[in-house]
Amino acid sequence: MDPEITIRCTNLSKNFRVSEKQAGLAGSLSSFFKRTYRSVPAIQSFSFEAQKGEIVGLLGPNGAGKTTLMKMLTGIIVPSSGTAQVLGFSPSERKRAFRRQISLVMGQKSQLWWDIPALDSFHLLGKYYEVEHSQLHHRIQELADLLDVHGLLNTHIRKLSLGERMKMELMASLLHNPRVLFLDEPTIGLDLVAQRNIREFLKFYQEQHQTTILLTSHYMGDVQALAERIVLVLDGEKRFDDSIEHFESFFGGEKYVQLELEAAVDTEDPLWKRYDTVWVENGVRADLRIPTHRFHHALREIFERFPVQNFTTEKLPIERVLTSLLENPRLLEQRGESSLR
Amino acid sequence: MIFPSSLSRLLSYELKKWMATISLSITQRLAYKVNFFLLFLGPMLVFFLVQYNLWHSLFLFREGAPIGGYTRDEMIAYQGWVLVTALLTQGFHSRDLAQDIRLGRISSYLIYPFDFWQYHLGTFLGLQCIQLCIATTAVAALFFTGVFQELSATHLFLGVSVALCAGLLWYLIQYALGLFAFWIEQTWTLRVLFALIASFCSGAIFPLELLPEWAREIVLLSPFPYLTYVPVKTFLGAELDLPLPAPVALTFWSIVVWGCGKLLWNRGMRMYTAAGM
Amino acid sequence: MKNLRTQMQYYGTLYRSFFELCAAEALSFRTHFVLLIVVDLIFYGTMFGTAEVLYHHVEEIGPWNRSQFLFFVAFFLTVDQLHMTLFAMSFWEFSSDLRLGKLDFWLVKPAHILFIVFFRHIRVASLLLAPLVWGALIFSGIQVGLSPLSWCMLPLLVLLSLALLITMEILLSAAMFWTVENDGINFLRMQVQSVGRWPDFIYQYLFQKLFSVFIPILLVTSAPVHYLLQTRGEEVLFFLLAALLGMLFLVSKVWRYALLRYESASS
Repeated sequence: MDPEITIRCTNLSKNFRVSEKQAGLAGSLSSFFKRTYRSVPAIQSFSFEAQKGEIVGLLGPNGAGKTTLMKMLTGIIVPSSGTAQVLGFSPSERKRAFRRQISLVMGQKSQLWWDIPALDSFHLLGKYYEVEHSQLHHRIQELADLLDVHGLLNTHIRKLSLGERMKMELMASLLHNPRVLFLDEPTIGLDLVAQRNIREFLKFYQEQHQTTILLTSHYMGDVQALAERIVLVLDGEKRFDDSIEHFESFFGGEKYVQLELEAAVDTEDPLWKRYDTVWVENGVRADLRIPTHRFHHALREIFERFPVQNFTTEKLPIERVLTSLLENPRLLEQRGESSLR
Repeated sequence: MIFPSSLSRLLSYELKKWMATISLSITQRLAYKVNFFLLFLGPMLVFFLVQYNLWHSLFLFREGAPIGGYTRDEMIAYQGWVLVTALLTQGFHSRDLAQDIRLGRISSYLIYPFDFWQYHLGTFLGLQCIQLCIATTAVAALFFTGVFQELSATHLFLGVSVALCAGLLWYLIQYALGLFAFWIEQTWTLRVLFALIASFCSGAIFPLELLPEWAREIVLLSPFPYLTYVPVKTFLGAELDLPLPAPVALTFWSIVVWGCGKLLWNRGMRMYTAAGM
Repeated sequence: MKNLRTQMQYYGTLYRSFFELCAAEALSFRTHFVLLIVVDLIFYGTMFGTAEVLYHHVEEIGPWNRSQFLFFVAFFLTVDQLHMTLFAMSFWEFSSDLRLGKLDFWLVKPAHILFIVFFRHIRVASLLLAPLVWGALIFSGIQVGLSPLSWCMLPLLVLLSLALLITMEILLSAAMFWTVENDGINFLRMQVQSVGRWPDFIYQYLFQKLFSVFIPILLVTSAPVHYLLQTRGEEVLFFLLAALLGMLFLVSKVWRYALLRYESASS
């Protein structure tokens, strides 16, 4: 395997078995005696590669399979079929040498001991990863400087705010200087300032250590700030895999227009439908997507028919690209294979 | 005439809330069949089987000579009724209740038009419906396997009545223990402590006649015998030599425990609403 | 050999770290700490109390007189105390880690998963009761007049019993991967333990076979005590060892299979 390629998976698939139950008392009684199961594909023949030092953002709605993919790449769950290689290891073999070089952060779960200060947990983690005491100490100081959490190391985890706790989780996962870092929604639930702090830290850290990072997030800001490349997952399948610039210009032939109207207008007017309008404030403020070749014509029609107070136009924000694609996945098919590496 | 009709509407709304709670509680308990069996029925069945084996072999080693005034068949029947009583009294765990408090879910009950105690009492009543069915099956099974050699309708009726009252007392104790979650992180230690003392002092392991006289007199002053020994003796139709008649004592202890629960709740709420935990 | 030594050192330092964390955690909950000790003491009280009540009415239970039976109780409690201190909490934590998906974090750590899961939680409060149970064991041993050989074998047999008990329980716990309803398995474990509280000869044929062969809880306490009191010969030690090896084999097989099938709680 090419030493520059850190993660490679080929035709990776995973199916889960779920049980079903009818609502209500009768349903409970019947499922008490007989339970029905069905097999649900979570990931379907997923192929993908990541280079050393690359930051890849995994995008997709809830339940698309992002976390499942991540769990397969960390060796937590075993794929139903296909192969995965991370750092030259097959993750599901869970070799110790492999586990020593990776790290996993899950925004929804904590690996720190709830009832004791973070520093105590860090010492245990140092033992797990066989980090020398002096080196561990140095590392803790360095990370605490970067994250500005010196005052919190001796505070019980349960007394920390979510943002502070997340910083501790990040520290915990970086103590052994992993070569691959898996971040599953690291900024979930955080306020904007805390999100920015975490992003800036990760960016800085990654530039220094050239860590390969696989990131999932619902916040486009995370992906925009960190990732160079975007992989879009829909219903367990890869639907887009290219640079973030290409993603942003997915609707390259279109312009993004924000309108402000003097008085509320009829939002049901067919004109709005044509330009994929999103109403920010019902009948008064709207965001539109207008094809470049119709731009002139469309604006004239709007100005003639509606009391426009103000308008701005800019490149389509990445957030809008994603929501448009999620609402209308057929757009991806139109673009075809060119978006898949 | 307006008043009674609005009252009846109010009552019907209240009744619907209770019925919904009870049916939800039944649904929840049946949702996980393995847990239902392992958490609630298993312990009682294993306890009975161990006790059965123990007493069976104790009498076998003595070639049938009575122990503490009990013949072999009387003792086995006693253990059978301990199982039935446990089914009717010990269906409720205060684990969920304590978790409601620990995880701060109590706030939603402060907003609902249905109180915390009402919700948990409803849950308890739902569970009692299931337990009553299982207990009926158990009585039939124990009769056909010869553990019970005779059944009398009167004793059965009286026994079930006393056992259901004992079940209410058990529930009230569990409820009060669960409320300690306001102050301590883990209330399971209190529940285990209670279960340990109860199994020893309530006559579940051995009939209280086997205790030395002085110990029996002390134990009879506590509420524990009313949880097992008294209902079991009622099922057996035996004469009871108690300081107070069983219904009076059960009522007395229920009121005492209920009062403690009320006090704990008020204090806990004052702390909860003041500090938000 | 060198590799083995570094391995031992690695796990040794890890275990020390576990202990320090547990001590730090335990001491921050004073009420709970005290309550745990009280619960254990009451448990010991009811165990000895029940035996006393029974021997108030009978002279012998099976082949054992009062002091022999009390020695059995003391042996049971010694194993139980070690189990409580070193392992009991881990089984409950495992069930919640599995349900909440926290097992994922332990799976990516570079130490053996069974070690992280089942050796991590040490109940420091119960540790304080060690002198009490060992005192009771030695006292009752003197009362029954153990032979010198029995005295030498005693600590070894306590450890063997403990080893069989926990391998059996780890095997049972693997069922949690399939049931989802994990606490049920923990209750089952406690029920199995409660069967072991009484000597094997009180059980009827079917029960005795079930709990000696399939779930060998009766071998955990009854077998070593029979050997020590010389109410049975050395063959019971052979059964004990055979059961331990069998269980170890099954644990390694079943856990490997369970981890292959692990689906991880969705976030």
